[in-house]
Amino acid sequence: MALPRLWVPVLAASALGGFAIFLPALCLAQSSEMEQLRSVVEGLQQQLQKALQRIDQLEKEKGATSDKIDQLEQEKARTASRIGQVEKSVQAVQSAPSVLNPAIGMVLDANVSQRSKTGGNFNFRSAEVGLSASVDPFARMYGFINGTSDGVEVDEAAAVTTSLPWNLTAKGGRFLADFGRFPKVHAHELPFVNEPLSIDRMVGGETQSDGVEANYLFPTPFFLRATFGGYNKIGEENTQVDNNKSRSWSRFTYLGRLNTYFDLSDNHSIELGTSVAYTPSIRLTGPADGGDRMLNGIDLTYRFQPLASTVYQGLTVGSEFFHNSQRFAFDSAAKRQQAYGGYSYAELKLSKNWSTGFLFDYAPSVSSPGKKTIGYSPFITWNMSEFNRLRFQFTHVDDRVREDKNDGGNQVFLQWTTVIGAHTHGFLGR
Amino acid sequence: MNIFPKIAKWQIITITLVAAGIYCRPALAQPIRVVATFPDLADITRQIGKNLVSVESLATGVEDPHGVPMKPSFVPRLNRANILVVTGLDDEHSWLPALLEVASNPKILLGQPGYIDCSVGIPVLEAPTRLDRAEGDLHPKGNPHYLLDPAYGKIAAQNIATGLARSFPQYQADFDKNLKAYLGELDNWISRWEKIAAPLRGVKYVEYHPEWVYFANRFGLKRVGSIELKPGIEPTPNHLVELVQQIKQEKAQVLIYGSQNPRIPQQLQGETGIKVLRLYTSAGSRSETDTYIKWIDYTVRSLVQAVS
Repeated sequence: MALPRLWVPVLAASALGGFAIFLPALCLAQSSEMEQLRSVVEGLQQQLQKALQRIDQLEKEKGATSDKIDQLEQEKARTASRIGQVEKSVQAVQSAPSVLNPAIGMVLDANVSQRSKTGGNFNFRSAEVGLSASVDPFARMYGFINGTSDGVEVDEAAAVTTSLPWNLTAKGGRFLADFGRFPKVHAHELPFVNEPLSIDRMVGGETQSDGVEANYLFPTPFFLRATFGGYNKIGEENTQVDNNKSRSWSRFTYLGRLNTYFDLSDNHSIELGTSVAYTPSIRLTGPADGGDRMLNGIDLTYRFQPLASTVYQGLTVGSEFFHNSQRFAFDSAAKRQQAYGGYSYAELKLSKNWSTGFLFDYAPSVSSPGKKTIGYSPFITWNMSEFNRLRFQFTHVDDRVREDKNDGGNQVFLQWTTVIGAHTHGFLGR
Repeated sequence: MNIFPKIAKWQIITITLVAAGIYCRPALAQPIRVVATFPDLADITRQIGKNLVSVESLATGVEDPHGVPMKPSFVPRLNRANILVVTGLDDEHSWLPALLEVASNPKILLGQPGYIDCSVGIPVLEAPTRLDRAEGDLHPKGNPHYLLDPAYGKIAAQNIATGLARSFPQYQADFDKNLKAYLGELDNWISRWEKIAAPLRGVKYVEYHPEWVYFANRFGLKRVGSIELKPGIEPTPNHLVELVQQIKQEKAQVLIYGSQNPRIPQQLQGETGIKVLRLYTSAGSRSETDTYIKWIDYTVRSLVQAVS
C-alpha cells in the first residue's frame, strides 16, 4: 500500500516536472499553430477579396454586355423599321401609274446680249425637253424637243440598239450625226456662249440629221471607234439640201469617222478624231446641180484632269479644223471652192464653281473662201451647282464676210443656263 | 517491228494529251475578267475570286467618287469584261451609264447576270424624305458610302460571291470557300477595330461631304455638321460662319475631308483649332491602303490617333 502512496506524489511531481519542461514547448507549438492559422485566414481573406472583386468585375461586364445587347436590339429594331419604310416606299413607287414613264428633264438657255452693230436684246435661246428610256431588251430611245423663239421642233428623236453582237451599235431617227466634236454637242453644253461661227458656216450648225448610223468599237486595248452613217443631210442650218424631198441615193450624205483616245498619264490625255462627210450630188437652190461636196474634219483635244482634284482643277485645250470642198454652180467653168476653217479654245478650271477660257474662231465663207470672219472670245463661267450656270463672254469679231450684222463688232453676253429633272447627253456630249 | 507501234502509241498518247492541254488551256489560262468601279470592290472581288479572276478598277481611289472622269480608255476594259462590280445606290451615276452606252457589252448592263450591284441588302441610311434638287445633289436611293462600315463590306462580299457564281456556277464551291475565309478574316478584323476604336465613341466630327454616316454609326461618332451647304453644293460664307460657331459650341474634335479641296478645312482649323484629317472614301488612295482591310484599318487608326 506504500507504493501506491509513493506513486501518487512521484507521478504528480513527474507531471509537474514534465509540465514545467514541456509547457514552454507547448506554448511555442500553440503560438506557431496560431501563426499558421492566422496566415491561412489571411490567405482566405485575400482569396475572398479577390473573389468579391471578380464578382464585381463580372457584374460590371454583365451590365456592359446587357447594355451592348440592348444597343444591338435597338439598332436591330431601327434597321427593321428603316427596311419597313423603304419597302413601303418602294411598293408605293412601283404601284404609281407613271412608273414606266421615261426620264424627263428640261434645259433653259437664255442670255442678254449687247452688240456694237445692232444693240441689245434678251434672247430666249431654247427650252429643251429631254426624254429617255429603254424601249425593250434590245433598244433604248431618247428625244429632245426644243422650243426656241422661232418655234418648236424635234431636235433629236432616235432609237439606239443596246444588244447587237460584234461590238456594233445602230442608231436611227433624227439625231446629231457623229461628225467632229462640238458640231454634235447641243449649244447649251458648250464651254462658251455661242457655237463657233466656223461650225455654223462649214458644217451648217449642229449636225442634226435624219438617217441611220452604225458604230463599231474596235477590240483594241485602247479606245478606237468607227462610225458610218447615211443621212438626208448634215447640219440643222444647212440650206443646201431640202430635208423633206425624196431623192436618189447619190443625194444623201454619207459619213465616216474614226475616234481614238490615249491616256498620256493618269492626269493627262489626248483625244483625236477625224471625220468625212461626202455628198455625191448636192442640189442647190434652183434647177442646177452643184456636184459633189466633201466636208472633212479633224478634232484634237488635250485634257489635264488631276485625279485627286478633278472637281476643282483642270485644263482642256481643243481644236477642230474643217475643210469644205464643192462647186457652187453646175458649170464646168465654175471653180471648185476649197474653204479651210476651224476654232481653238482653252478652258481652265479655277475651282469647283469657277472656270475661265478663251475661244479663237476662224470662219471663212464656204462659197467665197477668201472672205473670213475671225473672232476672239474670252469668257468666264460660274457654276452655282451642276444644274445652274452663269457665263459672261466678250467677243471681238473682225468680219469680212458681212453675211449678218450680228456677226461683227464687239459683243457682250451674259448667259444663264438651268436644268431641271433628268438630263444627260451621254458619252458623245462629254 | 515491235518498236514502231510502241512509239506510235506513245506519240498518240502524247499528242492527245498535248492537244487536250492546248484545247483546255484557254479555259484554264483565261481568268474571269472583272471590272470594278472602285479599288475596294476590286480588292474584295480578288479575295473571293482568287486566281479565277483578273480584276481591274476604273477609279484609282483618290477621285471624288461622284466625279470620276469619263475616260474613253475605260470603254475597252468594259467591253472585254465578263463581270462589272459597282457600289450601286447611284454612286457611279455621273460617269458609268454613259460609258456603258458605248462599251457594246450587253452582258454587263444593269439587270444582266454580269452586273453585280454590291448595295443589295444594305440597310441604307439617309434615304431622302424629300426628292427635290433644292436639297442638293441627292442620292435618291440613300447614302452610297456604306463600305465605310466593315460589316457592310461583308454584305458586299456576299453579293460579289453570289454574282460571280450566277455567271460562273462551275466555280461556286471555290467562291463559297473563299467567301467564308474572307468573312472570317473580316470578322476578326471587325472585333479588333471595335476595340481599337473605343476612344472614338462619342467623338464629335465635321465632314466636308456627307460620306461618314456608316462609319460613324459603327464606331459611335457623332456628326456635328458638313462643310457643304447641301450635298454637292459648296458652302456660302454664312454657312461657314454658322459652322464655326457650331464647332466651337459642340466642341467638335475632328474635321474629315477626302477628295475635296483642303482650303476650307484648313481655314476652319485656323478659326476653331479643330483637327483636320484627310481620309479618302475608297481603298487605293494611298500605297498603305491598297486593300479594303488595310484601308479600314488605316482609317480607324488615323481617327483614333487624331482624337487621342
